[in-house]
Amino acid sequence: MSQAMADWLQHPLLSIALSIGAYLAGLRLFQRLGSPGWCPPVLIAALLVALLLWLLRIPWPAYQRGADWLMLLLGPATVALAVPLYQQMHHVRALWRPLLVCLPVASALAAFYAIAIAWALGAPPLLLASLAPKSVTAPIAMGITSTLGGSIPILMGSLLITGVAATTFVTLLGRWMHIEDERLLGLALGVNGHAIGTVRAFEIGPTAGAFASLGMTLTGVLTALMLPLAWHLAA
Amino acid sequence: MQLLHGFLWLTAFWLAGNLAVELGHLPLSPGVVGLMLLTLYFIARGRVHGTIAKASQPLIMMLAMLIMPGVVGVFQVLDQIGTHWLAVMMSLTLGTLLSVASTLWLMRRLLPASPRGEDS
Repeated sequence: MSQAMADWLQHPLLSIALSIGAYLAGLRLFQRLGSPGWCPPVLIAALLVALLLWLLRIPWPAYQRGADWLMLLLGPATVALAVPLYQQMHHVRALWRPLLVCLPVASALAAFYAIAIAWALGAPPLLLASLAPKSVTAPIAMGITSTLGGSIPILMGSLLITGVAATTFVTLLGRWMHIEDERLLGLALGVNGHAIGTVRAFEIGPTAGAFASLGMTLTGVLTALMLPLAWHLAA
Repeated sequence: MQLLHGFLWLTAFWLAGNLAVELGHLPLSPGVVGLMLLTLYFIARGRVHGTIAKASQPLIMMLAMLIMPGVVGVFQVLDQIGTHWLAVMMSLTLGTLLSVASTLWLMRRLLPASPRGEDS
């Protein structure tokens, strides 16, 4: 391959075009497959990008240089989550007492179980730091993991598996415990399954969706506040 | 131009969050601090700023695409997980099962029952 061709393949804008193209293709394939919960569009898109990088022999660092430009937008996009959060504030005002107890406990437990199990099975600190924010929505979780000194790629895989697992378990346990209250199912989906759970909650109904996005955002903020402090105290 | 206007606001709140993190040596990510500052600003104003809402919508819809390059990275670090794959899988699946069970149990006990059919 000529040098000119290699330069063209490693241009940051090619990474950006590849990412956007793969994401759009992932969305379309996802709908074609009948929107399977176990295989979100992000996963399809990521597999497509990995395949293309391998086929075109684009080195991973070259792709990452371009993708970093895209991921820079995660900053303002995280701040933008304040808009849906504020729009759900009336639920918080109406139910502030149970939420004040439930949400901190539930989000602390989600992180605690993950750390305790991995620690008991002998995982090193790098892995613990990458697993701890597994129930937090990706943009916030990435911030937490880099604060703790974990690995962002391992975190991303963990988020994906957790989202799919949470969606499955809420459906199964909800049926088993005879829970039909949309607010409850929505909160459980948002607190444990971040964005993947929230998408499922919107399929159940608008109330479940609203409570899921509320649970997701508040879990993210609470975990971002509590986890790094707890980590510093424990370390 | 409203889009740019709103984007400028979001970026300014992120930068404010970043400044707070740097100056205060906070163990927080700038995005989360910016998110909290913006929520407080909305609460103080009593409404959502129209231009910020306009810029937020497309950014939130793009979130999944923005994190996608991070997911591609998983394939690069599989060897880092290596021998610890069982710990990782147990932590993710069993941990999530336990936390879903605890959340549902806790919330069923604490959340007041809503009248049936009411769309709250």
